[in-house]
Amino acid sequence: MQVITTDLVIVGGGGAGLRAAIAAAETDPGLGVALISKVVPMRSHTVAAEGGSAAVVRADDSLDNHFDDTVSGGDWLCDQDVVEYFVANSTREMTQLEHWGCPWSRKPDGHINVRFFGGMKVQRTWFAADKTGFHMLHTLFQTSIKYPSIKRYDEFFCCDLIVEDGRVQGVLAIEIATGELCLFKCRAAIMATGGAGRVYRQNTNAGIVTGDGMGIAYRHGVPLRDIEFMQWHPTALPGTGILITEACRGEGAILTNKDGYRYLQDYGMGPPDPWPRPKAMELGPRDRLSQAFWHEEQKGRTFSHPGGQAVNLDLRHLGAKKIHERLPLITEVAQTFVGVDAVVAPIPVCPAVHYTMGGIVCNVTTETPLKGLYAVGECSSVGIHGANRLGSNSLAELCVFGKPAGENAARYARSVAPNSSAAVEKLGEAAAQRVLALLQRERGERVATLRDEMHEAMETGVSIYRKADTMKIACDKIGQLRERYRKGIKLDDTSRAFNTEWLSAIELGLTLDVAEAIAHAALNRRESRGAHMRLDEYQERDDTNFLKHSLAHYSGDGAPRIDFSPVTITKSQPKLRVYGGEGKKAEMT
Amino acid sequence: MTVRKPYVRPMASWWRRNPFFMRYMLRELTAPFVAIYALILLVGLVSLSQGEAAYNTWLSALTHPASIVLHWLLLVAITYHAITLWQVIPKTMPPVKLAGRALPERAVTVFGCLATLAVSIAAFLLVKLL
Amino acid sequence: MAETRTIEMEVLRYHPESDSAPRFQSYQVPFTPDMSVLQGLQYIKDHLDGSLTFRWSCRMAICGSCGHMVNGVPQLSCHTFLRDYFPAKVRVEPLNHFPILRDLAIDQTDFLTKLESIKPYIIPAEDKPVESGEFLQTPAQLDRFYQFSQCINCLLCYAACPQYGLNSDFIGPGAMALLHRYNADSRDGGRAERMPLVNEEEGVWSCTLVGYCSEVCPKGVNPANAVNQNKVNSALDYFFRFLMPKGGTR
Repeated sequence: MQVITTDLVIVGGGGAGLRAAIAAAETDPGLGVALISKVVPMRSHTVAAEGGSAAVVRADDSLDNHFDDTVSGGDWLCDQDVVEYFVANSTREMTQLEHWGCPWSRKPDGHINVRFFGGMKVQRTWFAADKTGFHMLHTLFQTSIKYPSIKRYDEFFCCDLIVEDGRVQGVLAIEIATGELCLFKCRAAIMATGGAGRVYRQNTNAGIVTGDGMGIAYRHGVPLRDIEFMQWHPTALPGTGILITEACRGEGAILTNKDGYRYLQDYGMGPPDPWPRPKAMELGPRDRLSQAFWHEEQKGRTFSHPGGQAVNLDLRHLGAKKIHERLPLITEVAQTFVGVDAVVAPIPVCPAVHYTMGGIVCNVTTETPLKGLYAVGECSSVGIHGANRLGSNSLAELCVFGKPAGENAARYARSVAPNSSAAVEKLGEAAAQRVLALLQRERGERVATLRDEMHEAMETGVSIYRKADTMKIACDKIGQLRERYRKGIKLDDTSRAFNTEWLSAIELGLTLDVAEAIAHAALNRRESRGAHMRLDEYQERDDTNFLKHSLAHYSGDGAPRIDFSPVTITKSQPKLRVYGGEGKKAEMT
Repeated sequence: MTVRKPYVRPMASWWRRNPFFMRYMLRELTAPFVAIYALILLVGLVSLSQGEAAYNTWLSALTHPASIVLHWLLLVAITYHAITLWQVIPKTMPPVKLAGRALPERAVTVFGCLATLAVSIAAFLLVKLL
Repeated sequence: MAETRTIEMEVLRYHPESDSAPRFQSYQVPFTPDMSVLQGLQYIKDHLDGSLTFRWSCRMAICGSCGHMVNGVPQLSCHTFLRDYFPAKVRVEPLNHFPILRDLAIDQTDFLTKLESIKPYIIPAEDKPVESGEFLQTPAQLDRFYQFSQCINCLLCYAACPQYGLNSDFIGPGAMALLHRYNADSRDGGRAERMPLVNEEEGVWSCTLVGYCSEVCPKGVNPANAVNQNKVNSALDYFFRFLMPKGGTR
């Protein structure tokens, strides 16, 4: 086992990890920062974010608007003090990205342009065509190269944390190219490992989005908060789940069922005209739109596509010029993957799992309950998304919270004593042996078998709409799968160098743990709120009993323990979530 | 136990692996033909400066059957070179903007080829008519 | 369900622990018309041979992980479909011109080192605190570099460049496109710092204008254009330094 001594380890090289690394390097240039990532940073899934990033810039907008949209969008499950911090710092962070070279789309006068997104009162989404995540990630990655104290460990797979004396003192990783285990001895660590969308089959996420960091922190006793809230994006390609950005609707695209009818008007989002109109029809929030699709499917008003049931996302009225200028990636994706020219035909779409709203619990400073561990980005639950994330708040989150994560972790690392060498190495060695044991199984099941059964269980049991009996089945099934996983995974490949099957097996173990937390947290939330909708006796929001964050605690081989913690309310008391209604036509820029 | 042993593949005969590379190599191979023709013209120019007799000798040398064969060969080679060069020329220059829109590369290539053809015909007619 | 047919996929295998040279292995892969070459590889990995090694991630042609030689042509395998090769077989190899770590996974560190060397970040033309707002940049100014900022670092252009294959010291198309992207940005003032790299023999001057890099680029970056525009810049730079030994193009 290789041993590397550093000060701060950042796990994950996506937008959040990179922003944190830069902040750490700027705060304390003398501090050793190791950025470890299972892919080279620019391959991280931030790259696939399309539509944009929210920050108040327009004169007719305000921080209060952004706050209200976010809190009501989250069905009042957001921590409002954190949302206040978030909206207050987002514009500065987006401007910072601009200074670092992010090619934001501009207005003719050279100022930043913004577009509409769902659930938004005023245009607030900064965008770089429809490749916003791509441009943000490459800007952050390339900027990070400027800082000599950031040492990258590309293609190092983090498989465990080393906790000694009640605080994080090490990170165990596999150097993928050689299969060698590598212990990073450190004083603080930041988890920035992204979501867990790959718990489901039909998802918009990259193959790497397997919830590793969540699973690792969870196993070390850090609760996963609000993890039952998975976001279904209403517009993905049937079959593959490839994302068709909300920006299409932000630019004015419409959704129609097989009869050409704008069905959202039947689900409290209407009337359809005038269009476009903020917070109405296709500019409603994602949870409502995905739920409306489900109802349309039940009524038999969707149509059959080789990849599954679908509705039409119609961009044609925007015209070729606007489509090509504002939505070039979507145009290309639709052409390549479903053979549709968006200028002349509607794109078939259906909902797919897109975002993990919950995650590793942390406070506004990104500190987790485990000393020395910080969490940021999709893997974290800092408290801004509540029960339903608003589109374009997650890219902003990466930067707004990446910065304090880096700063605070750097300060903390400076403040604590270097770690107790011998004990940490001993723990590291033991953790390494557990990882290596996976290579030595003589018999067992294939990774793909367990993974596919997990997908099936989650798709049927913990989907857009949920019922106690089917959720219970899913809980049991995931419990059994964990049991079978423990009994043995048989790998075709028992070598060390670039053994991606081995890595998949480690990922699967972590994904299963997160899946179990999702299923149990869902079962225990006996109400309907945001993206968690039940069809049994709990169809209403229940603020008396459930205006609370769920916390899933790891319990070894058994089922997770679920309890609840209070939600911070500062200035917005829970109200009915209202979308649609009369209003005037939006002026589009 | 752990090994890093990257394998480097040989480059031998790389240009035969892909038709694109073969066309490129052919373009490079036709470059000397351009030089040869330039040399022939240069010799003609020098002989012109040496008086009528020298010039006539050069002219009659051109009518030798070997020279005719050489010139047909040169014509084919230089035509190929001109076309393939015009295919890559757009990649060497900043985009040509017409009314705010970038001209497609193909347009530059077609324009270049047509211009070359037009100049060649003009030169041919000039020589024929004078 | 769409019809399922079976295609032969021939994949290059190389294991550093047990092989002295690469070999090919064939698999029979059932596929539907919407299946990409990447999905074919994933089918092999899941059901036929878990030891097959390749990189992939986003499966929508934006992360740049899954570049392979598909029937001899550098391609993103998520973006290339089995139906287009059927009924013939499809041969998948690692990207040309890079050392093979294992099977289809190449060693990309050389590119990353080059990317780091070109200073791929804004070196501000003027100091401006973040608090004072954004730099103004008109759509026309944005247009001057935007195409070159589309590079996803997939390395197809390097696999298409024989000059890089013959001499890996050549900075290559992708890194030069990104260098040009920053030089052409109205907010950047770092051109003089980057010119020495351009001027090197291994800078733009190793390029012989094969042009294949731009043909295979999946994002229309046109790296050959970046390299060759910089030949002009480099020549001018030389010329001005010759005229004004102290001042140069600054």
